Amino acid sequence: MNMQNLLRAIAVIGVLLLGAGIYVCYTKHGTPERPVISFAPLTDGALKDPDNPLKIFHVDFAKLEHDLPLSRADRAKLTPENLTVLSQEEIDQIYARLTAGPVPDGFMRGNLFFENGVDGLKSRLAEILGGGLGTVADAKIDTLEKLGRSMWKGKYFFRDERVLRNVIEDFKPLEALIEAPDRLQTVEIPRQGLLSYVSPNSTAWLLFPAKLYCGQSLVDGRRESIIIDYAYTNDLPGYMERPDALAGRGGLAIRDEIRMVRPGFYLGRAYANRIFLLNFTVYDAETAENGLQAFLDGKPVAEDCWAGEQGMAAAP
Amino acid sequence: MYCPIDDRPASRPFRPARLLSRSLPVVLFLAMAITAKAQSSLSEGYAREIAPLSATERVGSEVWFNATAFNDRFFTYGFQQRVGGLIDWYGILAAEKKKDIFQAWGGIPDPDCCVPGEPNCPAKSLSETYGFQWCPGDDVLLKYIGKYGYPDPACDLTDVPAQGADQRQSACDLHFGTSTGILGLRKFPNPRFDRSAWLKLNGDKPESWEGYRGALNVFPTDAQNRTSRLFDGSIEPPYRIGMACGACHIGYKPDKPPADPNHPAWENIDGLVGNQYSRVSNILGSGFGKHALEWQLIARARPGIVDTSALPMDYVSNPGTMNAIINFKQRPLHEHEILKWRRAAACPAGTQAEKCWCEPGKLGKCWERSTKKELQPNILKGGEDSIGIKEAIQRVYFNIGSCSEQCWLNHIPDLRAADPKQRNYGQTPFDIGQCRRDCASFRAIEDRLDDIEAFFFTARPTDLWKARGLASPEALEAELDQQFFPGAVKRGRDIYARQCASCHSSGKPPFDNTDFRATVPGDPTLRADWLGNDELEPASEIGTYAGRSLHSNHMRTRVWEQYAALDIHERPRDPARPEVMAGAGRGYYRNISLLSAWAHAPFMHNNAIGPEICGKPADKQVDFYDSPYVDAEGKPIASPPACLSYDTSVAGRYQLYVASMRDMLNPGKRIDKMHLLDDDIIIDIAPKLQNPELNKLLGLEISVRIPKGYPALAINSLRFKDLIQDTVLRRTDAQKLDEKYAGLLNAKQLADLKDGLQRLILDAILKDRPTVLELAADRDRFVQRFYSNNLGRVENSGHRFGETLSDQDKDALIAFVATL
Repeated sequence: MNMQNLLRAIAVIGVLLLGAGIYVCYTKHGTPERPVISFAPLTDGALKDPDNPLKIFHVDFAKLEHDLPLSRADRAKLTPENLTVLSQEEIDQIYARLTAGPVPDGFMRGNLFFENGVDGLKSRLAEILGGGLGTVADAKIDTLEKLGRSMWKGKYFFRDERVLRNVIEDFKPLEALIEAPDRLQTVEIPRQGLLSYVSPNSTAWLLFPAKLYCGQSLVDGRRESIIIDYAYTNDLPGYMERPDALAGRGGLAIRDEIRMVRPGFYLGRAYANRIFLLNFTVYDAETAENGLQAFLDGKPVAEDCWAGEQGMAAAP
Repeated sequence: MYCPIDDRPASRPFRPARLLSRSLPVVLFLAMAITAKAQSSLSEGYAREIAPLSATERVGSEVWFNATAFNDRFFTYGFQQRVGGLIDWYGILAAEKKKDIFQAWGGIPDPDCCVPGEPNCPAKSLSETYGFQWCPGDDVLLKYIGKYGYPDPACDLTDVPAQGADQRQSACDLHFGTSTGILGLRKFPNPRFDRSAWLKLNGDKPESWEGYRGALNVFPTDAQNRTSRLFDGSIEPPYRIGMACGACHIGYKPDKPPADPNHPAWENIDGLVGNQYSRVSNILGSGFGKHALEWQLIARARPGIVDTSALPMDYVSNPGTMNAIINFKQRPLHEHEILKWRRAAACPAGTQAEKCWCEPGKLGKCWERSTKKELQPNILKGGEDSIGIKEAIQRVYFNIGSCSEQCWLNHIPDLRAADPKQRNYGQTPFDIGQCRRDCASFRAIEDRLDDIEAFFFTARPTDLWKARGLASPEALEAELDQQFFPGAVKRGRDIYARQCASCHSSGKPPFDNTDFRATVPGDPTLRADWLGNDELEPASEIGTYAGRSLHSNHMRTRVWEQYAALDIHERPRDPARPEVMAGAGRGYYRNISLLSAWAHAPFMHNNAIGPEICGKPADKQVDFYDSPYVDAEGKPIASPPACLSYDTSVAGRYQLYVASMRDMLNPGKRIDKMHLLDDDIIIDIAPKLQNPELNKLLGLEISVRIPKGYPALAINSLRFKDLIQDTVLRRTDAQKLDEKYAGLLNAKQLADLKDGLQRLILDAILKDRPTVLELAADRDRFVQRFYSNNLGRVENSGHRFGETLSDQDKDALIAFVATL
């Protein structure tokens, strides 16, 4: 090995070590601390249903927002990572204190998460469906969850067309499920992890198209959310029944809704056949980081959807 | 770019009428001459009808007929996307379907609207109106389709001059829009409408809605039946449709009916009499195929009734009539302990907003929440709306979706939210104070409740003698005596005093010398006797179908809790009812008024006693009549009585009255009525995926099928979320199950419940592992016993009072009641 090759090797090892260090830091940040923001009590103990003492009540969103508005500084404390440590009710309370904001544009990296402390979707559906049906469902849901966690990279918003496509990692075993792999739309997205220092971008598939519109939230009706609707997509360019139908009305009838935490960062909820499944975030690091100071300084943010009447007036 | 602030009409920057009304009388006169584009000036006929009213009564009428109070968003977005309902507005309101407005939907045709292209119609082609009728005000409205800034006619409402500074919310927030062609249904230009997208969708024909509502044929199994294109929220229609209170309450004058009910004139129309032909329930479910659970939940109602508690999802099948609002000044009052908001001049310093609140920018316009004993009428059929007439009027607006997003939707369950830990699992209490604060349309209505109440007080009973054009009540008596037998009316009066008046009079016994037709001194049009005492009686004593009495929305923690008096919350349940339920006041009916009974048959709260009535639409696809007659086994009978065609004439109403009275007084001759499912319901919990390979990998194939012929009431009243919760608890936490039913079930009942749940789990779920869960008879009996909110099934049972009278006495009673 000559000196030049040795230096190259040291440089590569250094880069790899640096990358590993960053990766370790990154993964450590995977267990972040709770954001310090105000929440109402998680249940409203003052209400007791005469017929069902087990019924759980929650503090009304209108009261929550009036009493404990979420300031821009509060919203700046939220990250895609620290949301994952909150309980579902806390996530709901954050979501209700957000507005839809502008319909995003371009690629946004995604992360999905279930209610903290709950073993994903399986136990929830098993409980809802009852033991037998839940058992039947579990294996299929397990498959779906694994696919989602490992291969879903985010969402690509085509704002002007009011269309969205999900960014799925190019994964050979999946090709068997795809009608025409050679006709798939693809996109280059920034790579994450160690390999990003060697190869900054990766190619991903654009699957599961959805229509974007302003519509009704299924958890907070006081203002609109941005709806990501997979039900009627067969008329979209590039629609491929296998696998796109999986999310559509003949499949799992997926319907997502998102609201803006701050520019470049949205909190979402996914439903299947109107049954709540999971939370997710979509995040555009460049917009989120570059726009943070302006957001904290009170610069107006566009609202593409109806923001309701209670509004965010109480929040500084 | 969508500009959300424009969802409300802009307030006029310059309001000549309001400014001038505070000035010199001569200027006021000029102002009145030049202002107003509200309905009264858009329609000569309507203006002529309300001209005799006072200024406040006219305002009340305009609001009642036209104000939607922001529910056009509800009927375009919230109802479809959040509630899961589906309305095919074009299928109802298309100009080419005008001939079926009354016959199919029971809608009252707007005399001022016309079909584009007809002689004298301002619109010359359907493309100008996107296929709808042209109605007054559309010359402006049509220019704003796809644009913001629509100047709503409500902005030009001429309010009653204010005492001092005008503190009222802008009249713009009443949201009038223009007529759709059916009175009470209003249309608004959709600012989000994209004409080019619409043309692309509908084959370049603006008047066509077929691409928007047309059949789906991508998947054979879902075409029309299981999903509908109307659910596609990405498509914005040209109009948003709103609903005024008049949609249910506007009807034909019993004493001045139209010669042709499909083409009435304004002189035939009454805003308060109630529309006994209306099929509002079918309108609300018009977008569904018959397989859909929602269709069977919503659309199983006969003409003239609507389940107003269905939208809040109380899981009680209880459609009720649109009562005639008449003679309200004499409505009996009852003492109630009432916690509610009352006007105040100011709030004490430091008071919490939940107890006292002043509207910002409106000096001295404050509201304080306090408890007082008050005399108030028992409104609604169970008497549960009991904190005041004005509050009851205001609540009507929430029933029709007003302020739904601002303050209502978050308090009603999501039909499919089955996880008890989640929000939207069940009802929560609507907060009047929050709604006042957060919804401008709430304030716009509230600030004009005095006007609406004044309008209410103008309505009077319709006397049959006048309707027949006779000279006097005595002339009618002579005619009735001639029809039945000499002396029939007088004999009927005695029977009434002896056997009916204890419930159907607001006077006090003895009734021997009571003049039931007496009028109030100084007002010969206002009856002294309400002909009902409005007292609450256990439904089990009356014996009628109990659904309406069992409705639970007024209970503590339920959506309308704040609209019930505190003593109603505390009232014990009717102990004779077999359903599993706690107290909180359920199981009572108030005695109703028999004023103008001759004009309001069929009878009872659900119009079930008496002949069935039906329209005869030209389009058989919208003929919603199906025979409810069943045998003792609950099966449809082979040759049911035919329905009677709608007949709005005086003679037609009277004939229907006589037939209905005979049905009521002869319960032994009644044929049971029970609406059955007219098609299978298929509920997809997790459907089969259309693609076989994907289905193999991920399909779940879990559906519930409820067969055709099953009683619709049994589905509509099922607490299925409790059933799901208990099934889970039976397997996971039996102690919690005990805790849930402590005090509701005795030990034997609880054991039966657990046993039944165990069998359900073992047999129906674990053993069979079905992809389609069928409703079997034994399983159904268990489920109904413990999870039905209403175990009554026969819709025309009970009220057997008078059964033992002789035939001649029954005739006498029929004759006398016709004079009331």
